[in-house]
Amino acid sequence: MTLNLPVGAMTDAATISPLALFLQADVVVKLVMIGLLLASIWTWAMIIGFSFTLRKASRQSRVFEADFWKADDIDRFYEARGKADFPAAKVMASGVTEWRRSTAQRVVDREGTRDRLSTAMSSTIAGEVDRLSDRLNILATIGSVAPFVGLFGTVWGIMRAFTSIAAEQNSSLAVVAPGIAEALFATAIGLFAAIPAVIAYNRFSHGINRLESGLSRFADGFYATLSRELEAQR
Amino acid sequence: MERAEKIGLGVATAGHVLLFGLLSAGFLATPNPLKLNSPPMEVNLVDEVALKSMAPRISTQPPPPSVAPERGPTEDAAPAPEPAPQPEPTPAPPEPVPVPEPARKPVPDKPKEKPAPARKEAAKKPAKAKPAPEKPAAKAKPAPEKPKASAAKSSQSTAKAKPAAPAKASGAGKADKPKGSLLGKDFLKGIDTSADAPRKAAPPPAAAMGPAQKSALDAEIRRQLKPHWRPPSGADADQLVTLLEVRLDKNGALVGTPQVIDQLGVTASNRPQAKLHAERAIQAVKLAAPFRNLPPEYYDQWKWLRPLRFDARLNR
Repeated sequence: MTLNLPVGAMTDAATISPLALFLQADVVVKLVMIGLLLASIWTWAMIIGFSFTLRKASRQSRVFEADFWKADDIDRFYEARGKADFPAAKVMASGVTEWRRSTAQRVVDREGTRDRLSTAMSSTIAGEVDRLSDRLNILATIGSVAPFVGLFGTVWGIMRAFTSIAAEQNSSLAVVAPGIAEALFATAIGLFAAIPAVIAYNRFSHGINRLESGLSRFADGFYATLSRELEAQR
Repeated sequence: MERAEKIGLGVATAGHVLLFGLLSAGFLATPNPLKLNSPPMEVNLVDEVALKSMAPRISTQPPPPSVAPERGPTEDAAPAPEPAPQPEPTPAPPEPVPVPEPARKPVPDKPKEKPAPARKEAAKKPAKAKPAPEKPAAKAKPAPEKPKASAAKSSQSTAKAKPAAPAKASGAGKADKPKGSLLGKDFLKGIDTSADAPRKAAPPPAAAMGPAQKSALDAEIRRQLKPHWRPPSGADADQLVTLLEVRLDKNGALVGTPQVIDQLGVTASNRPQAKLHAERAIQAVKLAAPFRNLPPEYYDQWKWLRPLRFDARLNR
């Protein structure tokens, strides 16, 4: 009785391409892979877009602040640059607007004006931070969920691989390996999407915190200036 | 969607497509994949094992060095026949070149001794030698004559060696069967005969039964017994096993009567059938004899069939 054992692997593992792995996979694993790939694309789109936005906002705010403190006349500075569309300018705009409204009346309520100025500017800061960090939670979600989704795809693919092994009654490495490789590919994509997402989330959270504290400092300084001005009025 | 996000989406998509393409093109493939060289392997499942190894024994001793002289004086006279046939191609007298060698060697002393062990005269010799050649000559050609002559001469020159053995051939007058060997008497000189002893102790196994032959033989005997084997029926009768001892002659016929060696599986419930079982077994052997198609070369293996097993499986 002579058995001729199969020679070599059915597919050359070294040359397995992602496309081949994807096409071999089960429907469920395919869906997982597509989802994870979209998540990865989205993650990188957000990373690129958000880093542009955040860096621009920070830089503009810093420059605006520096210029503000050097300015002689607040009103003139506001007319010249206060209408711009970035956080520091908006904070200043809200403060100036509130100031003008409050001091427009004949009798100025100093305490009430101070409260309103403070509230207006802090709410503007909060609004700006919210607007900036609007999509940041998506990164957090992708970063924490993608590995699990990938793992699900892997577990599913390995289950299927073992089922087919059982059906073929052949446990040679050549039969087992492609199924497991394709299943592990799902986890690979999951990690591929999750790792940048987690890193970017942490980095952007830090950047937004810094921007927020910078805006708060600027608002406090502006508030102090306005408060002094209020004192000097009358 | 802001402009920055659009740019980000475009760049990310392009980057993924690029990465995917690179991976598909084998960009990150293992540079030197380990080639598993697994040639097809033939697997033989051996389910038959003989009791006796048939593999030739391998001697651990190196072959003794060859120290014997290439050629020596022949033991046998036999001057005539051997040389004669050889010359055939060149029947003519000019034997010198082709023939001489064999002719001369064998010639030396034997012929002399045989015919006349006692005599040493040269004259006698030639005469004696003559008759012997005659035969070959008659058969073949005149050529032999020459060798003869030379043989005679050389024989004369050589002394007397052994009168005993050669006597037969020469006495008959025909020296056509020269047992002349090219080995000298001292060809064993350099060989350590004591070391030789153990080698002789382990001769290659002869025609021992291999597993295939043994199973084939068993199957053949069973096949011939089967039509005649009708075990008794009854409670637990299929548990009975009768072991017989059967002797066969070379033609497969019975020698004597089969003897019951033993009965196995006898219980209280089938005891009544036990005797019948044994009788039926003996009867089956008698009916089946003579056994045909048993390989005569393995007669040793089937001349004495013991135990020959009769049980419920035999007729299945």
